[in-house]
Amino acid sequence: MAWVTWRQHRAQVVAVFGLLALVAAAAFATHLPIRAAYHRNTLSECLPPTARSGCDIIVRHFENQFDSWVAIVRGLAVLPALVGLFVGAPLLARELEHGTHRFAWTQGVTRRRWLLSKTALLAAVTLVAAALLSAVVTWWRGPFDTLEGRMAPNGFDIEGVVVPAYALFALAVGVLAGLLFRRTVAAMTATLVVFASTRLIVLNFLRPHFMSPLHRSVVGTDSARPTADWLLSDTLVDAGGRQITAGREDLAVLHAQQAGIDPHNYLVSLGWKRVISYQPAGRFWTFQLIEAGIFAALAVAVVLAAIWLVRRTPT
Amino acid sequence: MIEFHLDPHSGVATYLQIVQQVKEALRLGTIDVGDQLPTVREVVADLAINPNTVAKAYRDLERDGLVVARQGRGTFVASTLAPASLRHHDALRAELERWLAAADSAGLDEESIRALISATLRETRARRVA
Amino acid sequence: MTPSPLDARGLGKRFRRDWGLRDCTLTIPQGAIVGLAGPNAAGKSTLLALATGLLAPTEGSIEVLGKDPLREPSVLAEVGYVAQGAPLYRSFSVAETIEFARRTNARWNDEIVSHFLTRIASETKVGSLSAGDRARLALALALGKRPQLVLLDEPFAGLDPLAGREFLQLLMDGVAETSATVVIASHVIADIERVCDHIVLLTEGGIRLEGNVEDLLESHRILMGPRRPLGSIRGVHTVVRERHSGRQLTLLVLAAGPIVDPSWTVDRVGLEELLLAYMAPERLPTPEPPERLPLRWHG
Repeated sequence: MAWVTWRQHRAQVVAVFGLLALVAAAAFATHLPIRAAYHRNTLSECLPPTARSGCDIIVRHFENQFDSWVAIVRGLAVLPALVGLFVGAPLLARELEHGTHRFAWTQGVTRRRWLLSKTALLAAVTLVAAALLSAVVTWWRGPFDTLEGRMAPNGFDIEGVVVPAYALFALAVGVLAGLLFRRTVAAMTATLVVFASTRLIVLNFLRPHFMSPLHRSVVGTDSARPTADWLLSDTLVDAGGRQITAGREDLAVLHAQQAGIDPHNYLVSLGWKRVISYQPAGRFWTFQLIEAGIFAALAVAVVLAAIWLVRRTPT
Repeated sequence: MIEFHLDPHSGVATYLQIVQQVKEALRLGTIDVGDQLPTVREVVADLAINPNTVAKAYRDLERDGLVVARQGRGTFVASTLAPASLRHHDALRAELERWLAAADSAGLDEESIRALISATLRETRARRVA
Repeated sequence: MTPSPLDARGLGKRFRRDWGLRDCTLTIPQGAIVGLAGPNAAGKSTLLALATGLLAPTEGSIEVLGKDPLREPSVLAEVGYVAQGAPLYRSFSVAETIEFARRTNARWNDEIVSHFLTRIASETKVGSLSAGDRARLALALALGKRPQLVLLDEPFAGLDPLAGREFLQLLMDGVAETSATVVIASHVIADIERVCDHIVLLTEGGIRLEGNVEDLLESHRILMGPRRPLGSIRGVHTVVRERHSGRQLTLLVLAAGPIVDPSWTVDRVGLEELLLAYMAPERLPTPEPPERLPLRWHG
């Protein structure tokens, strides 16, 4: 089946690695100016939690200088989905759409073995490509990771072991979608929808709670310190710990202004403080493994479902 | 080597046509004792007919003692037709020549003669079977 | 005892509301070349798809070479199947297609395929082959795995007469070599009349007629005579079809014995005519016992 898989999917495999090569080339080309700017401004002295004065301005300047590149790299989070769309979905959808399954599934290889072999081989290729992508991106994001950390989705989603897990999940969803929808375009659409929703659900509802968030109280006007942690929420609470609504805050500020007092000092005198909940940067690898584990397990379940269903689907 | 042809609309069973063509070839001396008949594969690859049909024809010929099948090597002519049938041949041939002369003077062209012969042959066979 | 190449019991398949095949019970004799005849949408393709596991039965069962193709799909290694339209990968070259078949079948013999390749360049893309060549390639691949059973679904559709003849030549050559059992589904009887020794006639999802061709031709006769009300005719079991024109009455009958009635001209019937008579859309009542002949409508 290795020859068969290669012959039928070689264009896709070449495209995947071609794209990867492009990304790598762009990464190599752009890293020089970044490193140069980093050292020129001695940003190494601005790493959290230590921060000498004036750092925040320098850091902000540095980030603004390269924010479009960072945004583009952030956009590479879509690449795993592309595997699902262009490698996974056509696998079964194209066969069923063109009727070639009547040829492929009546040879000496059973349907299940055919699907398992193809999926396993393509999964191996996907794993390698995604791992390489993750390595390149992690390397490129070095300076930004040290400055702002990689616990937040900006870095978390495109580095480490989650990238291969996303890609394998997308591949699996594509394969199952191809079987259920039997039409390439419909399967691709369904794959995109399922992949995106799953990612969003895990990101917004599950990841913040992989482990209990930590809390930190901030009194006064501490400006946003550079932090490598992932900030989950930043709320104002009163002395009793109750969250203060925007209306109540506005009322207090108004009161302070009418009394001629500095609003910030007034709030402090009331005993009000900001409570920040966050996930510490030190949990990066733990969270990576949990999230990768979730997506890998989902991928396995989806592929098993496809292999079980392929024998029962009437054609 | 004998080459078979099939007339699917003659009303004669395929295997019989093969038997007849072998016997005809024997009569005319086209094949002789020791000659190999085309293999079943060769015949069906040429005529696109059922291999069982050819096998049946060859079995019939073998039963009549005209051919013999040698395992793994093919089917070979074993004996020619008995001279007795050849004797009848001459008498029938003479009668046929007389009939043809009569048909000719009656104004039948070759086409009409062939048509008349085929139709009559078909009808007599059909009547015999029914 | 070796299992029959194809054995269906009460087989039925429903598509949404319509039954493509209903209550089909059939056993195909080993080594036979079976013509699966019938008009379009009679259930021929459905039957073959059920035999290869491409469809799952709604009721009843089907086994090929003694195995259920859905539960034991490994049996498909012994079955050569060419679906309608001879589906192949159009972007593959001929050589790559052969390689595909070689690699997905444990048992493979290059002889039939290399014989096929004598006239076609192996780098030709399948998509640019003529319909006849594509059909023959698909057949060569089906034969190359040395199957015990060959199933062909409308192989002559879209083929000109020469291509059709070449297809049959290749098929018969392959069958002579492997002694495989063959089932050819075709709605054009003339295409398969030449080679079939067994016939299964399907109409509207059910088996209308089935049997050995010689036996069928031997047991049916055409009777012609002056038009008159029908009583019983000695030797006639059932009247299958009745036609009249002017003063002549023509019957196609199933004979129970020799028909010796001077008022009728008795003639043999050809296979195509016989099948067409059974295909007639009117529903035919079940046969009466030989003594009484029921009145029939006009064909």
